[in-house]
Amino acid sequence: MENYFSKLNYYQMLDIKPEAAFFEIRHAYNAALQIYQAESLVSYSFFSREERREILALLEKAYLTLIDEKSRQVYDNELIGLGVIAEVKKKSIPKSPINIFDINRRSNAVVAKTPAAELRAKISENPDIGDILARNEITGGAFKEIRNKLAVELEKIAQETKVRVDYLRNIEEDNVSQLPADVFLKGFIKSYLKCLCLEPADELCARYMLTVAANRKKA
Amino acid sequence: MAQIWPIGGGKGGSGKSFLASALGRVLASHGKKTLLIDLDLGAANLHTMIEVPYPEKGFSDFLRKKISSLQDAVVRTPMENLFLISGANDNLDVANLPYEQKLKTMRAISRLDYDCILIDLGAGTSFNTLDFFMISQNGIFVATPEPTSIENIYRLVRAIYFRRIRHYYNAAEFKNLEEQSLLAFGSGASSKPELLMQTVKKIHPQKGFDLERDLDSFKFNLVLNQVRKQDNAEIGRQICRVIERHLGFHILFAGNVSYDDHVHDAICQRVSFLDRYPYTRTANDLRELGKQMMYPAGEQLQILYS
Repeated sequence: MENYFSKLNYYQMLDIKPEAAFFEIRHAYNAALQIYQAESLVSYSFFSREERREILALLEKAYLTLIDEKSRQVYDNELIGLGVIAEVKKKSIPKSPINIFDINRRSNAVVAKTPAAELRAKISENPDIGDILARNEITGGAFKEIRNKLAVELEKIAQETKVRVDYLRNIEEDNVSQLPADVFLKGFIKSYLKCLCLEPADELCARYMLTVAANRKKA
Repeated sequence: MAQIWPIGGGKGGSGKSFLASALGRVLASHGKKTLLIDLDLGAANLHTMIEVPYPEKGFSDFLRKKISSLQDAVVRTPMENLFLISGANDNLDVANLPYEQKLKTMRAISRLDYDCILIDLGAGTSFNTLDFFMISQNGIFVATPEPTSIENIYRLVRAIYFRRIRHYYNAAEFKNLEEQSLLAFGSGASSKPELLMQTVKKIHPQKGFDLERDLDSFKFNLVLNQVRKQDNAEIGRQICRVIERHLGFHILFAGNVSYDDHVHDAICQRVSFLDRYPYTRTANDLRELGKQMMYPAGEQLQILYS
C-alpha cells in the first residue's frame, strides 16, 4: 500500500489538477485529511498505523510543497522535466480586492467655509485691524471699529455670546460708569473677542482692562 | 435475464434484511416481478419482514431435494408481484453449505425468471456469503456509519478481492503465490489482497491482466443505513473513494438511508414500514434507492456462474 501512495505525484495524492488554484489545494488537503486522519471514521481499520502515518506524512509534504508558490514552481519544473505533466499555463493573477474607501483620497468638493474661518480670513486681509490692535490703549471704541470693518452686527454678537446688547453697547461707547464689575467685564470682553475671532483674546482683554482702569481713575 | 442484487455487509444488525424487504416492496410496487431470496443461512428472518410468518416451503426443501426446481420453492407474499424463497425451517446445519450445493444453488438462481432478484445475505465473510455476493456484479454493501460496521465493510471487500484472486488459482499455486507475496511485502501482506494482486501481476502478467479486467467488471454499490442527523452525510462517498483508490474496485455510493425509530416499530408490528410510515424521511430514502435499482445505468447486470 505504501508504495501505491508514494508512487503518486503530489497532485495525484491530493487529487487535483496541476493547474489547481491555491484555495483548491487547501480544499483538497482538508478533504484528504478528513479521510486519512487517525480519528477519521472513513478509513477506520483500513490502514495499519505505519501506513497511515506514512500517508499523512506524504500528504503534508505534498500540501506544503504545493501551497508555497516558489517550491511549487520548482516541483512543477521537476515534473515537467520528467514529462509527467504538461507545461502549466501561468494563470493570470486573480483580481485583488479594490479598496472602496481610500483613506488618502482628497475630496475635490469645495468645503464650505465656516463663519469663523471667514472672519479670520477677513482679519488677516485687513491691515487696519492689525493697526488698531497694535495701539497702546485698547478701548471699546477700537472694538467697535474692528466690528464695523468686519461687518458684524452687535445683535449677532449678543445672540452668540448671550451678553445683553445694552452691556455690549456700553462697552463699545466706553461709558465707564455704566460698565459692570470687572469680573463680569472680563468675561464679556473675552467672549466678545472670541466671537470676532480676534487673537490673542487673553492679552487683548488684559490691555483693555488696563485702559478701563486708567479711564476710571481719570473719571 | 433477471437483475440480481445480492445484499451483504460484514456486520450483523446493519439492516440488510430490512433493506432487502423494503427495496423488494418498492420494486414490486412499481410492477417489477420481484423475488426475495433469504440466503442468510441459519439465521433467516426475511419471511418475518414481509408478512409470511409460516412459509410452507423454502430453500431447505430445495437443498433436501424435496423440491427439484428452485422455482417451486417460491412462495407468494401478501403483496402483489413480490415473491419469496424463504430460509425458514431449515436444517440446523444448513449454514455450512457444501460446495456442490452452493454451485447448484447459484446455477438455479441464475435460471429463475424474474425481473429483479434480491438476495439477502448473512453477516460475516464465510465463503458461502462471498460466493453468493459475487453471483452478480451488482452487489450492494450495507453499512452503518459506525467504526464497527465500516471495519467489517473493508474486511468484506478485501475478502471478496481475496476470493476472486483465489478463484484463478488451484490450491498449490495459490499457496505458492501467498508465499511469494509474503516474501515481497512482509508479514502484513496476508491480509492485503491489493499486495497479493501486485504479486500476481509480477509473476503471472496474463493472469493479472485477466483478473484486473474481471474485477473491473464489478460495480458494487454502497448504501449507508441508519444515518442519524448528526452523522456526516459524506462518509459513504468517502468510503467509496478509499475503496476505489486503494483497492481499485468500482464502488458506487447509492445513498444514505436515514435512521428512524419507527423502523423498529414496524418490524415489531410485523407490517411494512413503507405502508405504515410512508411519509417519513427513511421511507423516502428507500423509495429513491428503489428507483435507482429500477433504472440501472447501462448494462451492468451480468450473472456469473451461469
